[in-house]
Amino acid sequence: MHRCAPLMLQIVTGDPRPIIRQIGDGIKRLVAGGELQPGDALPSVRGLAQQLSVNPNTVAKAYAELTAEGWLLSRAGLGLFVAEQRQRLSDAERERRLTDAVDRFVGDVIGLDYPSDTVLDRVAGELSHYSSKKTA
Amino acid sequence: MSDYVIDTDGLCLRYKGKLALDRLSLRLPRGGIHAFVGANGAGKSSLFRVLLGFEPPSAGSARVLGHDCRRLTPALRGRIGFVNEEHTLPGWMRVRELMRMQQRHYTQAGGGLWNDARYEEVLSHFNVLPDQRVVQLSRGERAGLNLALALAQGPELLILDEPTLGLDVVAKRAFLEAMLQASIDDGSTIVYCSHQMDEIERVADNLVILERGQLRYMSGPDDFCGRVQLWVVEFPFKAPELRDLPGVLQVQQLDGLTHVVTFDQQDGAGFEARLKLLGARRVQSMPLGLDRAVNAFLSHGHAGARRAA
Repeated sequence: MHRCAPLMLQIVTGDPRPIIRQIGDGIKRLVAGGELQPGDALPSVRGLAQQLSVNPNTVAKAYAELTAEGWLLSRAGLGLFVAEQRQRLSDAERERRLTDAVDRFVGDVIGLDYPSDTVLDRVAGELSHYSSKKTA
Repeated sequence: MSDYVIDTDGLCLRYKGKLALDRLSLRLPRGGIHAFVGANGAGKSSLFRVLLGFEPPSAGSARVLGHDCRRLTPALRGRIGFVNEEHTLPGWMRVRELMRMQQRHYTQAGGGLWNDARYEEVLSHFNVLPDQRVVQLSRGERAGLNLALALAQGPELLILDEPTLGLDVVAKRAFLEAMLQASIDDGSTIVYCSHQMDEIERVADNLVILERGQLRYMSGPDDFCGRVQLWVVEFPFKAPELRDLPGVLQVQQLDGLTHVVTFDQQDGAGFEARLKLLGARRVQSMPLGLDRAVNAFLSHGHAGARRAA
């Protein structure tokens, strides 16, 4: 039996995002951020439902969606695991998101009056923390 | 075995001179947690009274677990649990005696479903001692005892009328967990009426909205939220009358902007075009959480809102 990875998730009620989406987005963020690694075991449906005080059916549906989208992998009799992450966005979508993110970032820093080199160095430094992660 | 735990057809109940249930037709599938919401006086408690056989229907039919509610046998009643909102329990009995009595009843009637562990688990969150008399308990403690008894009974259908009213946060969470457990482990169908939208969002599989004795809406809470949309509209001059547009639930004027909540208008383009035709300069829209969505849905037909309109 694998010990399952702690899932540091929080859900809020009253949010326009339904709980099932909050769970899905939360897990995606943990995987993308490296807090959850490929091969890590996820909590049982019941365990996570209890942790979050939500209906187990909601957790089961969120898990099923993540599995269908390739974020998680189900192994018969063993439970769910974080799948090896592959690039799942189209090139056009990646390009669009990158443009969006750069626009936002430039908008935020433009008023701070740093020379471009300083800003670029900082970004490069920040990115280097993630360079050990796969680049496929 | 009937597929529906509750099945009413054209059900009417005249209660104290008012039509408390007005041709209510409701079919509730077996399994899961069904949350009933509705304004005060929407007919929730009246429906429960009919279902449990306390009150014969004035017209129409009502069936529970496949049987006519006017002729419930003791054995059938043993398969139904009920917790009323006042948590009425015999005040003169000691907690232990009351528990033993319930245990005896439901072991005989339901075929030994009584779950001692669940009784202890739920009650452990309340400071209730076996030797105390019921009359000595606070309202919250009485609620805890009542819920522990009902959940331990392991009923096929459990009807809870505002069970968490007056519980503190710890007790409430313990109760919700026990309720989820009963739903998943025992396969109990739970009918649960509440005004607490945050609870409903967490636990309910199905949302049932009653209004003035009629069924207004039924689906999963997420699907319901997906159909309600908030529009914030800027009209450069006086805002036109929007209440009569299709799907409009609620209209509010806030700081010169018009806030409109709609139902089934989220395909967007159509409703936005309509607002533009009416002279809107800017239109923005966003989804709403369950609390606001239900609020808008109910306020549409609410006695107070109608009078103001």
